[in-house]
Amino acid sequence: MSFATRTWGGMSSRARLLAIFIPVAIAAAVVTVGALVLLGPPFLDFLGANMPLVRFVVAAVAILLLTVPTAFVLIYLELKVIARMNLRVGPNRIGPWGAAMSVIHGLKVLSKEDFAPTGTDVTVFTLAPVVTYMASVMSLLVIPFAPGLFGQDFNIGLLFFFSMGGLTVVGLLMAGWSSFNKYSLLGGLRSAAQIISYEIPLTLSVVGVIILAGSMSMNRIVLAQSGSALDWFVFKQPLAALIFFIAATAEANRTPFDMTEADSEIVAGFATEYSGMRFGFFFFAEYVNVFIVSALIATIFFGGWTAPFNWPWAYNLNWFHPLSIGILGWVLIVANVVLIGTVLFAIAARLLGGREWGLWDAIGLGFLFLLVVVAGLVGTAGFIAFDWVAGLVWFMAKTYFFVITFVWMRATLPRVRVDQLMGFAWKWLLPASLLNLFVTAAAVIVTTPGGAR
Amino acid sequence: MSFVPGLGIAKGMALTMRRFFEPKATIQYPETAPDIAVRFRGRLQLLYDELGNLKCETCFQCAAACPVECIDMGGFDTKGRFHVHWGAAEQYAERREESALRRAGRPVPDPAYSRFDPIDTSAVDGILERYDFDQKEMLAILESIQRTYGYIPVAAVKRVSQVSGAPYALIYGRATYYSHLRFEKPRHTVAVCRCTACLMAGASRIARSMGGALGTEIGRPPAGGVALEQLPAHIPGAASPLVTLDGTPQPRLTAAAAAALGRTLAGGPVA
Repeated sequence: MSFATRTWGGMSSRARLLAIFIPVAIAAAVVTVGALVLLGPPFLDFLGANMPLVRFVVAAVAILLLTVPTAFVLIYLELKVIARMNLRVGPNRIGPWGAAMSVIHGLKVLSKEDFAPTGTDVTVFTLAPVVTYMASVMSLLVIPFAPGLFGQDFNIGLLFFFSMGGLTVVGLLMAGWSSFNKYSLLGGLRSAAQIISYEIPLTLSVVGVIILAGSMSMNRIVLAQSGSALDWFVFKQPLAALIFFIAATAEANRTPFDMTEADSEIVAGFATEYSGMRFGFFFFAEYVNVFIVSALIATIFFGGWTAPFNWPWAYNLNWFHPLSIGILGWVLIVANVVLIGTVLFAIAARLLGGREWGLWDAIGLGFLFLLVVVAGLVGTAGFIAFDWVAGLVWFMAKTYFFVITFVWMRATLPRVRVDQLMGFAWKWLLPASLLNLFVTAAAVIVTTPGGAR
Repeated sequence: MSFVPGLGIAKGMALTMRRFFEPKATIQYPETAPDIAVRFRGRLQLLYDELGNLKCETCFQCAAACPVECIDMGGFDTKGRFHVHWGAAEQYAERREESALRRAGRPVPDPAYSRFDPIDTSAVDGILERYDFDQKEMLAILESIQRTYGYIPVAAVKRVSQVSGAPYALIYGRATYYSHLRFEKPRHTVAVCRCTACLMAGASRIARSMGGALGTEIGRPPAGGVALEQLPAHIPGAASPLVTLDGTPQPRLTAAAAAALGRTLAGGPVA
């Protein structure tokens, strides 16, 4: 019985955990620091020599991380907006106004059993949601959120987008095929038929815009619409905008074209055999798709991140350098602002609320007010001083306008029959988009001096 | 201009957008208590034990105590006699029609009673007159009614309640307490005279053998729809021993013939 054994035997379980954890943490810290010292400079050099690669990786990771909160926000938005349109209240128990509902939903899905039915092709079955989700995420990569804030400015941006959108079909077909279920297979084929059919008018309707902008780069398309709202392509290509909107609705599997995974039906199309987080990926991909098509409509036809009118006060706060006052200066400023602001707002709350507010209530309320005001001030300053903040605000405002329009449509319109769905795509949208393309091309040839280039 | 493409969609979208801003129909239950009247006491309910038997003993104290007479009793129980139900009329199949009629403002028949044969209540009025409408004489009143009608018709009990002012529940309770009072009209009534002459002629033996064949005796409830009772008075001129079947004097019976007649009656209709 050595000293170590006796000590170990005398320790409580928490002490044992600490006894294991502390040496491991120290070792990990030493190894990390050592690795940084030894490998850091050459690694940084490598990164510096390959900036585009770094940019791509960072952007991909950032967008991947962005999609999940986006999906959460969209799901909550949909629950709440549709509920209100149905004269209900909607989620209102978890979090303020039920805002954490979709997060809890996600956690629930995550905690379910990872289950693959007998007879499935497990590899394909597992990969199908990943392919669908990644296709959605990759198409986000070319969307310009703000000037300078985009994953990659491909000169074939739109082409990349549509090819990635086409990959979604592969995921759905994989899901339908690997499920070992004839209903899944039929659902997958139905989805593929729908999405491929609508991809044609979707793509053709954008060709007119490409002709006008002279580029397939999303950034160029946005820049071609800069100026005021009258320069937006929606006014030059109204028919194309309408076709694009309708086809995008079908592309994102939204009501009234949600044949792919009709929520109210018993058999859930290609996702019949899916459960848990595998289904969750399809679910998330659907909402990410809604965001993407909304963003695309905003980008192509509604000026992207450009403001709808010429911003008259584009100031630059270059006279102020945040690092010039030092850390101590920042601490002093923040502490004083917090103290004085809280006290001022608390006094205001006491005066306005009277006896209703206790002392601590008033102080807490004052602090909250202060946070709101400071956040608003900082945001406004950013909006004025940095054009990417302003661009992001405009872009998000436009995108969420269309997101809400999609939700609104879902609350209103009934699902179309599958023959109506296909007939509409082939008999109406395709001829209309061809007509639009023809007229646009003719107009460009006529109005360009010296003929077409 | 009857069809404008997209007009229906626009109308629908406008409708949902209007709904978005309208007040919501949801009642936030734990936070918002529903508006309940001060004297609301919940839904009345009869309880059943674990074997499915009604726990209610039909003591009628609840109905007698209820100040606004909201507790209502009527219908049939599992023995085919009176059943206890209470609460709103809509809850009972036999009274739904009544409820609908009442809501429609039409005259409401009383199905709880009208399913019984209607009777001429003038005899009841006469009996009550004789007993001076005295509730203390209720047993005698009920016995008189049974003597008159052969049983106690529900309509008669209702009439008694209306005229004398005694609660229906009280009369009903008393009527069900005494075993010789009956609510069913017997298929046949066999009456045996027990006057001295008949007794001398063997009426007791005949009554015993008749009762043995029917499964009942004088003063007991009817068996198999056949009541056996005592003839109030000898029919003048009839031979002893006198036995009447539904009021018709039978030819002179021996004890064995009475037993045979009883078995025939118990087995089914008289040939």
